[in-house]
Amino acid sequence: MRVSIIGCGTMGITYAKNLASMEEADLAGVCDIDAARAEEAAKAGGTRAYSDYKAMLEMENPDVVCVCLPTYLHKGTVIELARLGKHIICEKPIGLTLEEADAMIEACRENGVRLFVGHVVRFFPNYADAAGQIARGETGGPGVAHLKRYGSYPQGNGQWYHDRNKSGGVIMDLMIHDIDFVRSVYGEADAVYAAKAQSGGEDPFEYAMVTIHFLNGAIANLTAYWGYPGPFTTEAEFAGSQGVLRLGSESSRSLIVTSKEKGPEGKAAVQVPQSPMRHDPYYRELKHFLDCIRDGSEPLVTAEDARAALEIALAAERSCQTGQPVAIGGKRA
Amino acid sequence: MKAKLKVGMISFAHMHAASYLQALLARKDVDLVGIADENRERVRPFLERYGLAYYEDAGKLLATDVDAVVICSENVRHAPLTVQAAQAGKHVLCEKPLGISEAQMREMIEACRANGVQLMTAFPCRYLASVIEAKAAVDRGDIGRIVAVKGTNRGTMPGGWFADRSLSGGGAVLDHTVHVMDLMNWFLNSEPEEVFAYAATLFHREPIDDAGMVHVKFRNGVIAVLDPSWSRPAAFPTWGDVTMELIGTKGTLFVDAFAQKNEIYNNERMKPSWSYWGDSMDDRLIEAFVLALREDRSVPITGEDGFRSARVALAAYASAQQGKPVRLAPWDRTDG
Repeated sequence: MRVSIIGCGTMGITYAKNLASMEEADLAGVCDIDAARAEEAAKAGGTRAYSDYKAMLEMENPDVVCVCLPTYLHKGTVIELARLGKHIICEKPIGLTLEEADAMIEACRENGVRLFVGHVVRFFPNYADAAGQIARGETGGPGVAHLKRYGSYPQGNGQWYHDRNKSGGVIMDLMIHDIDFVRSVYGEADAVYAAKAQSGGEDPFEYAMVTIHFLNGAIANLTAYWGYPGPFTTEAEFAGSQGVLRLGSESSRSLIVTSKEKGPEGKAAVQVPQSPMRHDPYYRELKHFLDCIRDGSEPLVTAEDARAALEIALAAERSCQTGQPVAIGGKRA
Repeated sequence: MKAKLKVGMISFAHMHAASYLQALLARKDVDLVGIADENRERVRPFLERYGLAYYEDAGKLLATDVDAVVICSENVRHAPLTVQAAQAGKHVLCEKPLGISEAQMREMIEACRANGVQLMTAFPCRYLASVIEAKAAVDRGDIGRIVAVKGTNRGTMPGGWFADRSLSGGGAVLDHTVHVMDLMNWFLNSEPEEVFAYAATLFHREPIDDAGMVHVKFRNGVIAVLDPSWSRPAAFPTWGDVTMELIGTKGTLFVDAFAQKNEIYNNERMKPSWSYWGDSMDDRLIEAFVLALREDRSVPITGEDGFRSARVALAAYASAQQGKPVRLAPWDRTDG
């Protein structure tokens, strides 16, 4: 399958590396309006760089296109690709509004192409294992969960993450991973309550705490933080009537390298904790989506799931503004 | 300064009484007079081991020349026992939660004020070494201005009267909101203004809340959330936790108060267990109470502190029932 990439930021380069190493995929061009970024991704993926995606689609004629663009560009790009008959793997969140998500899903349906959204946490082995354990009943009935995701403030090209109208902010962009995951565990949400602390300026941060109440009775509190001074950290706990399951990035380091050598910048090299695996979660995700295209099967995470996560994220944003809990539209009688 | 303080204990319904007893016995400046408890069997081992006087009726203990009493009764009896002690002219250290209604807690505070005795709420978590250090770091400005706090006080279902609303006044949300809520009040030097909460029965068969999530907005703009659930299963290595994460403008601070532990894997038990080796918070709580009374200073954690913390749990129940946020009036406007 011929796969092209539009957008060569951090995600585009990650996709390029993984697709290049995948037997199922033939990486067919990468594109970015910033020629240097496109070159970097092309080098990482052993393919050709483009700065005009129309030229790339013409030259490469891909079966699948990965959309690794800033969120505000998802809708227009996905709809155009759908009309060209390309299957699409789009980065999360699916879009900035439910109207955008609906238009994208509808365009792909009309044009008979598949749309996948990169909710990659489903493909992290620790989260995938947790979902399986809980589904098997290891923790018993639904209870109280905590999910946490802290990282530095993302530095996108042209600082697009800093612009709420382009990225949607920390709930829409970062917490949405955990929103999707906890929904995959507990099912449909009933209501959401949220609060947020943030500051702009030289040293911006955005911190959100969101509690989701599910139709099955479960209560989940999610926290996400852009501007965390420590290393990227994820944690989750699921307490149920029969047990507790916990996971955490800090508690599952399988390799810690310490060195007396000076690092490249002359500073003493610090500890580099890692949890290496043969394939990273993006490889598993992309391979799964390509398998779904090949055999027509349903993916682990659908575009409708991505829409549902977006709906909860938008409700959380509204709750931050109104100070009131917000009912989720998907609520069933 | 008083050389020795005469102290009596009223009720061992709450298991913390045994730990306070040890802390009192270990002090040279305390004369532990006796124990009042209508259930003699419950206190018999302590009476016999330490040769303490027994009173079936708390009034008899209060009629002696004790200076102060430690009340560890069921929650619903905190108010009548505290008022009775105050009227007898005795200082009171009362187990948390201070009371089960705002009116009751105001009555306790007022009775102590009117009778010239001090009322201290037993919030030993203020005396955890990690908490003391965290408070100092916050006061020094190490993490800048605090903007958000997330806390947990997850525990095992205590059972017994704790699960009987007519004696406890509430389940996990009342039992386990108050400790970390007090820490938040103390760290933030502000008051909760609004509470939104969920309370539910998810883990056990007993018909009382054992799960919850309590969101609080403080007057100074800080947002907070706290998990008071009795969500630790029997298989868990210990009874529960006290954690608090502070998000500041210049950094973050994480307290895991019971992280000072060794892990044990024993074939007989067939489950891991944790042996806590950190300092005893109860010893320091008792010390603070005793020294304040001996030196005729104000107790460090007052009845008002107990009120401010417990009212959040009460508001959480109201919010959970109404499905919307509940506003809290400022303390000075509700006073009296």
